[in-house]
Amino acid sequence: MSERIIRGRIDRSGALVSADAPLLRLQQRAGSALDKPLALPHLARLVALAQRLHRDISRPLYTADDHSDIHALVRITPDADGASLEITDWRTRPIALPQMPPVAESAAAAQSWTWECDQQLRLVALRAAPDTPVLPAGWEGRSLSELFELQPDDDGHFPVLRALARQSRFDGQRVQASDTAMTLSGEALFDATGRFTGFRGLAIVDEAPRPVEPKNGGALIDPAFGSLPLSDPQFGRRIDGALRGPLSRIIATAETISGQFDGPIRADYARYAGDIAHAGRHLLGLVDDLADLQNIERPGFKAAADEIDLGDLARRAVGLLGMKAEEKGIRIDAPRVDDKMPATGEFRRVLQVLLNLLGNAIRYSPEDSQIWIRVDREGDRAMITVADQGQGIDADQQAVVFEKFERLGRTDSGGSGLGLYIARRLARAMDGDLTVDSAPGQGARFTLSLPARDAA
Amino acid sequence: MSESVFSPGIDPPSPTLSVRLRELADYLAAPAAGRLTEEQRALSLGIARRLVHDVAARLDPAIDPAGLWDEWLRGGLPCASRLAGICFARAEEHRWREQSAQRTSPPPAPAEAGAPPPEEPAAEASMSDTERAYLALRIADRRRFDALGNPALAIADLDADVFRGLLLDIAAWRLAAVSADKNRAAALGDAVRAATAFQASERGITHAGTVYAEHLGTDLPGAAAIAIDRHDWPTLVALAAAVHRRSYDDMALALLTAETASLPSLLAPLRLDHAALAPLEASLAMLPARAVGEGDHGEPAGGRDR
Repeated sequence: MSERIIRGRIDRSGALVSADAPLLRLQQRAGSALDKPLALPHLARLVALAQRLHRDISRPLYTADDHSDIHALVRITPDADGASLEITDWRTRPIALPQMPPVAESAAAAQSWTWECDQQLRLVALRAAPDTPVLPAGWEGRSLSELFELQPDDDGHFPVLRALARQSRFDGQRVQASDTAMTLSGEALFDATGRFTGFRGLAIVDEAPRPVEPKNGGALIDPAFGSLPLSDPQFGRRIDGALRGPLSRIIATAETISGQFDGPIRADYARYAGDIAHAGRHLLGLVDDLADLQNIERPGFKAAADEIDLGDLARRAVGLLGMKAEEKGIRIDAPRVDDKMPATGEFRRVLQVLLNLLGNAIRYSPEDSQIWIRVDREGDRAMITVADQGQGIDADQQAVVFEKFERLGRTDSGGSGLGLYIARRLARAMDGDLTVDSAPGQGARFTLSLPARDAA
Repeated sequence: MSESVFSPGIDPPSPTLSVRLRELADYLAAPAAGRLTEEQRALSLGIARRLVHDVAARLDPAIDPAGLWDEWLRGGLPCASRLAGICFARAEEHRWREQSAQRTSPPPAPAEAGAPPPEEPAAEASMSDTERAYLALRIADRRRFDALGNPALAIADLDADVFRGLLLDIAAWRLAAVSADKNRAAALGDAVRAATAFQASERGITHAGTVYAEHLGTDLPGAAAIAIDRHDWPTLVALAAAVHRRSYDDMALALLTAETASLPSLLAPLRLDHAALAPLEASLAMLPARAVGEGDHGEPAGGRDR
């Protein structure tokens, strides 16, 4: 019988003076340390009892760290200098059997899948109960976040990723799988050495489709734009569906990288990933607005008047798309840190416009070229210009480039043809404008102008 | 098994009496041998039921598996002797794994000098072939459970003859229901052939273990030692099966029925030192009602060797 024994030693003053790693870790998680008072109340009481009785005692021990309950058996041997601890039968969680899902048969209701993934969130099992949506083909080994488009909770977090970091159970992870809205819950799995080995849980089909909450009331018929698709709430929902999934995946992946859940990586890379996740969450907020794009179309639509710095926003946009530019060998000459251009406009929407302009510039620039972003002021207008070395836009095209669904004859999958339209609408909604200046072969210069603001 | 305990020409008055007398005869023939526990019976029966359901669904989704099973429960499984070995092996493996998981979920142990690192090297964005093979092994293992986590047999793991025999038994049962419809009867025959051909192309846990072992190469002993340390019994069984060129089920049953003293020789090809084997010995020793016998000299469990 080779049962593992975890040992510790308490001195006369009640301080934990030596401990095997698991016990020490618990002590540390409780906010204490070696040579400090024992910070596990139940264990401390048992030690005190043994010392008071002057004899060995063996008792069940119940404690918990920040993500799991711990059940164990402790034997305390008091002596003149303190007490010795021997902890056996250490179990880090309640009786959920690792071979069984953490659900009773009755709980594994219809309309659910059972799933299991490894510690890197790769699916190793996926089963459908009767009357559930058909399992997607080729799920084996795919990432959980790839198969299920993870949706953030109301705080912008992903319960499954948080649970991954904490190696603990989770629930309430909203996902989209094959056009079906589901909610994931799972138990953390551990092997005999205490190593986290993955999750097992349920994916339950949401009873009712998740509504897209209209931000400003229900459907609107726009007198100016009539029955254009953007006036149709359904269109907003389609936009929401198309953008939210990929964006959520970006955030989820970036958070995974940033949290170094799959293992250590270079600190600067982790930081970049954190920036991406942060910016992605920011953009996810924008998706909410895009889902209600018809609001922009409404006469009287106004954006917020935040105090913004176009230089700062330019650098944020570069931070978001810099990697994409690097892939094509494109160098971005962005405003320096001390290059400020105070303006008035809605922070998120200006960033959205800049991302659109910079994204276009990267997409249509030749490899190993350069993109310039300059900030400037003309009278009461603060301006930011994105210039590239692409093939340019001739005069005829310039006349239509801001029209809806206009892609200048391009058929690639790079864009929807809505970006510049939205960007100009947003610019004008902020009392600004978006203009283009270009000639064939000379690249394109898009300039966003906004009301200037005098720096405080 | 089919030998009657009654004199020739005398029919047993009831199936129940017949079964009990057969059981008694078996008992009298070997009174000292341990009998199946209720848990072993229930697990084996459940595994058989899930297998029959799965095979029936593959043969013809229109088959009512509950009706089929109820009828077979009353009249006896026509494929009983073929299923006994594989169902028992799977049930025993499940008992072992479940017990092991229940008894030992300690926290990470302090790292010991010279011991293998507690964590695998940091995962890279792309998996190595070995990691991919291990993942495939885990997937193959998880296919051996139903949606609720109950132990089951994956059709891909079945010996072709066992699978075909079961298909034919179910088809025969189904034929009774559709015999009036010749077209459907013919379709059933086609379905048997199609299912047999498809099953022949499937690769199960034995194959996954072999591929993993091949990718491990000289790292195989280390991986086996880690599997033991982590109580990752399916990986251990799969690796042992690979080096012995036996089926997974066969190897699992060999391990589960081996005397402690014979474990080192049984696992000798894995080149494990005795200390590495200690957790395995302890785990097996703690498994109650184990059918300990003469090591691995028993009949193969009926798993396929791929």
